Amino acid sequence: MSKLSPAPSRRAVLVGGVRTPFVKAFAEFTRMDTIALGVTAVRALLERFPVPRAELDALVWGGVILPGTAPNVGREIVLDAGLPHEVEAMTVTRACASGLQAIALGVAQIERGEADVVVAGGSDSTSNAEIKLPQKWVHAFAPLALKGKATPAEYISVVSQLAPFTDLMPTRPRIAERTTGEVMGEAAERMAARNEIDRAAQDAFAMRSHHRAAAAMASGRFADELCVVETRDGQRVHADTLVRADTSLERLSKLRPVFAKNGTLTAGNSTALTDGAACVLLMSEEKARSLGLKPRAAFRSFAFSGVDPADQLLMGPALAVPKALERAGLALSQVGLVDMHEAFAAQVLSVLKMLGSDAFARARLGRDRAVGEVDPARLNVHGGSLALGHPFGATGARIVTTMANELALGDHETAVIGICAAGGLGAAAVLERVG
Amino acid sequence: MSDLLLELSQSPIFQQAIRQLGVPLPMPERLRRGQGPWAAQPLADAPVVVFAGGHLDAALADALTSAGAAPIVVTPSEPHAAWRQAGEAWARPPRVFGATESPPDGQRAHALVYDGTALDSPTSLRGLFDAFHPWLPTLSRGGRVLVLGRDPSDPELTPMQAATATALEGFVRSLAKEVGRRGATAHAITIQRGAESRLGPLVRFLLSDRASFLTGQPWALTAQVPAPSDVPLVQPLERRLALVTGAARGIGEAIAHSLAAEGAHVLCLDRPGEETPLARVAQAVGGEPVTLDITAGDAAKALTTALRRHGRPLDILVHNAGITRDKTLARMSHEAWDQAVAVNLGAVVTLTDALLDGGLADHARVVCLSSVSGLAGNVGQTNYSASKAGVVGYVRALAPRVAARGITVNAIAPGFIETRLTAAMPIATREVARRLSALGQGGEPRDIADLVCFLASPGASGLTGRSLRACGGMFIGA
Repeated sequence: MSKLSPAPSRRAVLVGGVRTPFVKAFAEFTRMDTIALGVTAVRALLERFPVPRAELDALVWGGVILPGTAPNVGREIVLDAGLPHEVEAMTVTRACASGLQAIALGVAQIERGEADVVVAGGSDSTSNAEIKLPQKWVHAFAPLALKGKATPAEYISVVSQLAPFTDLMPTRPRIAERTTGEVMGEAAERMAARNEIDRAAQDAFAMRSHHRAAAAMASGRFADELCVVETRDGQRVHADTLVRADTSLERLSKLRPVFAKNGTLTAGNSTALTDGAACVLLMSEEKARSLGLKPRAAFRSFAFSGVDPADQLLMGPALAVPKALERAGLALSQVGLVDMHEAFAAQVLSVLKMLGSDAFARARLGRDRAVGEVDPARLNVHGGSLALGHPFGATGARIVTTMANELALGDHETAVIGICAAGGLGAAAVLERVG
Repeated sequence: MSDLLLELSQSPIFQQAIRQLGVPLPMPERLRRGQGPWAAQPLADAPVVVFAGGHLDAALADALTSAGAAPIVVTPSEPHAAWRQAGEAWARPPRVFGATESPPDGQRAHALVYDGTALDSPTSLRGLFDAFHPWLPTLSRGGRVLVLGRDPSDPELTPMQAATATALEGFVRSLAKEVGRRGATAHAITIQRGAESRLGPLVRFLLSDRASFLTGQPWALTAQVPAPSDVPLVQPLERRLALVTGAARGIGEAIAHSLAAEGAHVLCLDRPGEETPLARVAQAVGGEPVTLDITAGDAAKALTTALRRHGRPLDILVHNAGITRDKTLARMSHEAWDQAVAVNLGAVVTLTDALLDGGLADHARVVCLSSVSGLAGNVGQTNYSASKAGVVGYVRALAPRVAARGITVNAIAPGFIETRLTAAMPIATREVARRLSALGQGGEPRDIADLVCFLASPGASGLTGRSLRACGGMFIGA
């Protein structure tokens, strides 16, 4: 079987992307849920890239913290945004790779000829994570809820089912692996130790992310990608709020480890909890041309991978990136831009180390030579999640948009994206410029 | 079947009482046994100390790091580059200690692995003492000791070198008895020239919780049998067709379960009259029952006919069926003699011989159940011991004849295993059998099944013609 993807008869192109500013959790966007954030981004996208409403076929949305009462966030966005009811919609979840997965599905729909115009993206509101009532309550009260009028004896039976009165407290949402119980930061802390990534390297990487993001903001490079969000209380949010232009190695080095006593991960070199939404407009190439829209990029390949979450939880991109490159028929050295989602500086540096390791390539990829070293000059050229924040489902469309816009500037032909995700998953995609 | 002392030994109050009373009652350590099928990283995060200095660094570095172990390399010189390379690939960078450095306070080791392939004289054996004397206290409860050496039968070795290589076996046998009370085990592995690539799977198995009841055992790896091209680390028996005799109960039932858990399709064979329990086992393992009297004159023909239905030869053949007909020789009936020999040895030979022509696939695995009694002898078991010793001779003689086809043939000699059979023993005999072993307890049927699974796996191609004890380090027997 050839590793190269067969060239689809129809090519899906990216017309453009938009995102809300990314804002620290429990701040400006606290009273906007993931649906409201998504609606804001989708409306802005369709204003910036006007498409006759009747041309819209589908919306594919990615999210991690899905509202229990309306888990198909995508459909709610279509309805709340006032899009035609005919625009069908779905919601996908693949942890932090949900956004990229939504785009991959949108592209596939177009390539298979099922759709011509698709909005794909994702959002998350960590401020609106639901507090979960232990299942014990649910199971104890279920007979009453289903039956209607209950006798005192039945109430006593419910109480007796709840006994012993332990584990009845609602649980605080935490980003912990279901199978291992390990919090993601703890997993990244172990990766740092095992891959010998020291604190100084992590802090330096985090600082660069902030400085590059700050430079992009200052130069207006993000203006094209951002929309203004008006919050419920009338506040207007224009820009990302987590980026620190003035951060320094000295400041970062003063932060205390947060996941282990003698650890190396701090709030400075780990991603903050964030609220936000991002989306892209995907079309078949013919449709874009016929609507007079200029495509910015197309997709050469997607790849997804899985590793043992108990081993190195966030190593997925070290396997997914080579897979996507192979499908695209490219070597890492031939790719102009590399954008890695920065969950933790330690995680990105671990993945980069493995991409550059002959030993890893031999043992884990069955190749003689390393995938390649990544030149820092072409890696995360406008910063990454460490500086901008990471509203889980939104990150995929955020990275794809930034890369597509960068390609459209004309200096590079291709870009590769890598995203790690809970569950030991990795995701990757190769984009190419459309001239 | 429950072992009262083992249960009581888990209680701190009981332990305290025994200590206070000064009763010389050795407390067995409860053995950790693996759950579910083989894991990709059975040694995840386990610190493993390797005393380097031989020529096995590359094989060990790869085997240990890919199994998830955190290597600690004790070496008089710079560690071999393989430790850094494999360490990088699996993010298990080695910690390095000088040969004269003492272990740091609080250091624990799941295993101590000594590469003795460079030892070549009696004086060089001092290396064993120098390594284990300071590091043995770091060995965890339920830990492992491996001593690796050259093949003493290598004609290129001088008698002195061969003596040195053989010395490792004696060292391990004694050490097994010393560490057994802590539930730890010790093994010697000798590696024939050219068989280095066969080391990894065996190390992975012996250090895992699938080998808890094996100890004091020499393992001889050879390159006699061509290695299979693919050695999967999980689901090693996927798409394999297996036949287990005596599968209705006890050890046979456990073997059927283990083989099926690793992916094999298991034909469960037992004698007429056992249809009900046999059907239950076959259903539980997703296999098929085969009812057959293996001592009947037409058994071989009936079996090959039954197999023909599958349109493919067997990949795994496990001769587990066995019976005892105990009586001292003077009082034994000739029927008792005939039955024991026919089931335990006659059927093994007849059926295997019949299957050799077309009934066994290339790279097939044949495993026969022998017994420690066959190696050591037992009052009232002349018939049984004769048959079980015969099995040892059969695998030894058959192995070289089928080696070219990639087929391995081995025997397992179980010691005291907690089954229906042993539960019926008089309590005094049973207690003696349990306690007179390095681990101070009996084994479970699954301990035998775990070893069968390993021998049946593609990674066990380095072992053939051997009779391996699974006895918890019984004090009797050679």
